[in-house]
Amino acid sequence: MNTRTYCKFLLIGLLAILAGCATQQVKTPIAADPWEQSNRAVFEFNDTLDRAIFKPVAQAYAFITPQPVRTCINNIFLNIGSIWAGVNSSLQGRHIDAINTFGRFMLNTTLGLGGCLDLASTTGAKRIPNDFGVTLGVWGISSGPYIVLPIIGASTVRDGTGMIADAYVNQFSYGQAVHDIAVRNSIYGFEVVQRREALLDVTDMVDRTALDRYSFIRDAYLKRRAVQVDGPLSEAESLPSYEDFEAAPADRKALGIPSQK
Amino acid sequence: MFSRTLRLYAALLLTFCFSVGVNAQQKPNTMGAPNEFVQQVADQILAKLKADSAARSGDIKRVNQIVDEFILPYVNFEKTTRLAAGRNWREATPEQKTALSQAFRGTLARTYSGAFTRVTDSTDIKTLPFRGDANANDVVVKSQVIQRANSQPIALDYRLEKTAQGWKIYDINVENVWLIENYRNQFSQQINQNGIDGLIAALNQRAQ
Repeated sequence: MNTRTYCKFLLIGLLAILAGCATQQVKTPIAADPWEQSNRAVFEFNDTLDRAIFKPVAQAYAFITPQPVRTCINNIFLNIGSIWAGVNSSLQGRHIDAINTFGRFMLNTTLGLGGCLDLASTTGAKRIPNDFGVTLGVWGISSGPYIVLPIIGASTVRDGTGMIADAYVNQFSYGQAVHDIAVRNSIYGFEVVQRREALLDVTDMVDRTALDRYSFIRDAYLKRRAVQVDGPLSEAESLPSYEDFEAAPADRKALGIPSQK
Repeated sequence: MFSRTLRLYAALLLTFCFSVGVNAQQKPNTMGAPNEFVQQVADQILAKLKADSAARSGDIKRVNQIVDEFILPYVNFEKTTRLAAGRNWREATPEQKTALSQAFRGTLARTYSGAFTRVTDSTDIKTLPFRGDANANDVVVKSQVIQRANSQPIALDYRLEKTAQGWKIYDINVENVWLIENYRNQFSQQINQNGIDGLIAALNQRAQ
């Protein structure tokens, strides 16, 4: 099957699902997600695809590969990706983060055998994940509506735009390093499988605990991205302040309103 | 000669087992410093999980049982439920409040269990030094979970409240996402569609 027929099938499938779910009504809209109805449709589509292809392949990979090997490979991919993360920290003016990230990269690449061993983490230097979507946010571009992208999943208009730059850099760097196209494409494919495998525990937990997986993932995604853009705030600023409605009767008394009995 | 050496080994082994046993049996001190309290709760449950072959092999039911026994006594799940319900809490009858808290308790147990599936010998939880106000009644304790050797540690924070019975955990943060915050929309969605009883039913359904 050539790429064009493949894309055509994908598009038809997507449209069929969109049409099928068009009647589903959004009962509790939230401001950050004005496209909830179509987002939910794409979410369903991704989920079906994941259950049919990505998850089983990742599970098979996990089954045949010992844990230490998987951890090693995951670390190598993260280590390669940390160069671009460090560049983004610089672009955001977070120079200490950038220095930490490049320091981690050098330690893990040399003594950590090409990134296989995450020595930097054992010395207490945590990985600082970063990408161009966060950079755009730090530069003052607001996230825009939440959007579920086909195959890729949770994103926003801003982060989706940032992803184009991320993907381009990824393509370019592998293109420079690996000239054989077949090998390069195999690496891309393997990276997808490996990334899905690293997420198996997380997705299993979401399956077990979420009331509504769509909202669970959306809210967690938006929150995490907001924290990444805002950077480390002081504790008081970053702590959510919940309204406690047990205290309501006491407040009524304080206001001089007789309590209901 | 041989039997004497053997006896010495036996004695040493017994002392060792006994001391480990005593450490594991010691109850966390809910009146102490909050970070020490969290560390004690974490050490206690990790010791249990590491010694349990079913839990180690990923038996999620067994992990849930151990979490139920060794973490939930230190969790104020009623407060967690109340805060997640927000203003809807006021509309609930006392019976609904109890039923809702009980139903959400299962979700909380499964959330905590999620951090403890597939425990290995290298699994460890390290609480970070407490940097808040030592006299405050509402504090955050930060920790890092090392799931297995050579892997990226997970940031896990606990929010605690000082009650008459000492420290109680009421919210947790996994990689920058607070649990209560993450359930507020899901709760209000369910309540808007099917009322508080609908939410209780949906939570209980998840438990099966």
